[in-house]
Amino acid sequence: MRKTAADARSPFRLAWRAFLGNRPAVMGMAIVAGFFTIALAGLVLTSGSHPLLDPREVRLPDKLKQPFARPNREAVPAASLPRLGVYLLGTDELGRDVFARMLEGGFVSLSVGFVAVGIAVGVGLVLGGIAGYYGRSRIGIGRLRLLSVDALLTSLIDVMLSFPSFFLILTVVAVLKPSIWNIMVVIGLTSWEGTARLVRAEVLSLREQEFIHAAQAVGAPGPRVIWRHLVPNSVAPVLVSATLGVAGAILTESSLSFLGFGVPPPAATWGNILSDGKRYIFDAPWLTVIPGTAILVVVLAFNLFGEGLREAFNPKLRER
Amino acid sequence: MFKFVLRALWRKLWTLVVISIVSFGVIHLAPGQPSQIDPMNPRFTKEQLLRYRAAFDLDKPLPVQYGLFYQKLFTGQLRSFKDNQPVIGKIIERAWNSFPLFVVGTILVWCYAFPLGIAAAVRRNSVFDRLTTVLVFALISIPGFYLSYLGIIFVVETFHVDVIGLRTFGRESAGPLAGAMDRVWHLVLPSALGVTAGVAVLSRYVRSQMLEVMGSDYVRTARAKGLDEDAVLYRHALRNGLLPFVTMLGLLLPGLIGGSVIFETIFAWPGIGRLGYEAILGRDYPVVIALNFMAAGLTVLGTLLSDLLYMVVDPRIRL
Repeated sequence: MRKTAADARSPFRLAWRAFLGNRPAVMGMAIVAGFFTIALAGLVLTSGSHPLLDPREVRLPDKLKQPFARPNREAVPAASLPRLGVYLLGTDELGRDVFARMLEGGFVSLSVGFVAVGIAVGVGLVLGGIAGYYGRSRIGIGRLRLLSVDALLTSLIDVMLSFPSFFLILTVVAVLKPSIWNIMVVIGLTSWEGTARLVRAEVLSLREQEFIHAAQAVGAPGPRVIWRHLVPNSVAPVLVSATLGVAGAILTESSLSFLGFGVPPPAATWGNILSDGKRYIFDAPWLTVIPGTAILVVVLAFNLFGEGLREAFNPKLRER
Repeated sequence: MFKFVLRALWRKLWTLVVISIVSFGVIHLAPGQPSQIDPMNPRFTKEQLLRYRAAFDLDKPLPVQYGLFYQKLFTGQLRSFKDNQPVIGKIIERAWNSFPLFVVGTILVWCYAFPLGIAAAVRRNSVFDRLTTVLVFALISIPGFYLSYLGIIFVVETFHVDVIGLRTFGRESAGPLAGAMDRVWHLVLPSALGVTAGVAVLSRYVRSQMLEVMGSDYVRTARAKGLDEDAVLYRHALRNGLLPFVTMLGLLLPGLIGGSVIFETIFAWPGIGRLGYEAILGRDYPVVIALNFMAAGLTVLGTLLSDLLYMVVDPRIRL
């Protein structure tokens, strides 16, 4: 396909080129892509009734082995020897293979991050869109029109922002009993405020533009105008903040797991591998260092990637 | 201006009411009535049920329960399930324990974040700027508990001092100087580690704020007048650049009660965060609700204060 001059100067192209010039951000993107691959491979390799790499196989003779240690072939039954013939990342206090557990936990982190942020973005888009588009209409009981939709939704945002979010999440998870779904939903429902604010502000400024008036003039109903015209035009900053949100969600999940309110055992997450390993911090430091470093690298990659996107897609930041 | 203040007050009052409802409603999220004894759960005994009934007036309709709960909380009748102490007194006692962490932490944040952010903005795109950017993101991304363990190992192995808890157990008789040093050692690590993310985030804000001001017209005018660079940066740009951070004085308020759960748990620091964690672990609902409510309430008060402060320092807002 031939490149035209206009093509090369489209806003997306410009932003993309600016993004590629930002080395940390590109590295972040590469690590994020690698993390996706590893997490999905981990799901395939560690699930099923006879997984290739079993994260739950307990081998008491082989407990607290160092990384790259070979299994004790005399004491461990042949059926439960590690498939690779070596403990790549060592074993924990029950002799479980840390490599397999890290692979299993990778997918947990990935899914918690994406589902929680998906929920947050969904709620934020809907509430932000409503607040921006229908903000002026008033609601109330009977004929009393007490307050406008906008006032209601912005004060809801204020309320949610006032709570210490981690403590609130901890409270709700403790009341509801920790499970992976509860954690995803709770993180999602406590982190939509930023998206809602962004969308509301975008919709408020877009609402008065000609293409929206045109859509209204041909009789498009409100939800259609919001969903087909306003949301697609305000989604770029939302996606950027979603990338940063994934980083936050992964960090929150690992903190919850660390405090014992995360995904319940025997499922492995990076947070609970670290939490279990902290008791052996002087004898088996790899149980702390491996999951801790993994969380750091993945969260850092998402943060650098998101920040790079933000800079690239915001001409104001790009030119300065 | 008076009208503006009144309107702000009115809004904050409503926010506070909604916050009180949400905090109270959280425990009703649990499926089923809390009063129904679960025969399978040995920890939920008849005695506990009676205590629960007394604290939450479960036999009354929900709005009445809500009203009575806050009445009891403020009159000091609400007692913790765990040790039967008034909830308010417990929270104040623990907040007092968290206070040194809060003071040292705040000082550290302000002493590091501002110079770091300003230096990065002044030397935009230099090696220093790039390095601090990556470092800042690393500090934001590192899980606090992981950093704490690395810090504990480092300090314990190199300096051979004890850092867990308020002070070293059994060293009370060691004399005032040794005792003071001991307190300092126990204070430094948790407060320094607890604020790393805060330093990182704030220095980013300072940097972008400075960059914005440095790009404005009046700074260019100052340069055109032939002022030397230091005067331009520190007498002209910095003054306006730091304006938004006045609002942070107000936002410090919630820090008084919002001690960090993670760091206080790791360092066995008997502060607010640990009180919250213990209360959640022990299903001590009066304390949990009160903590959520008071932390959110202080945040609202803090934002109100910062709005007012901003109005005082920036005349443009008053219009």
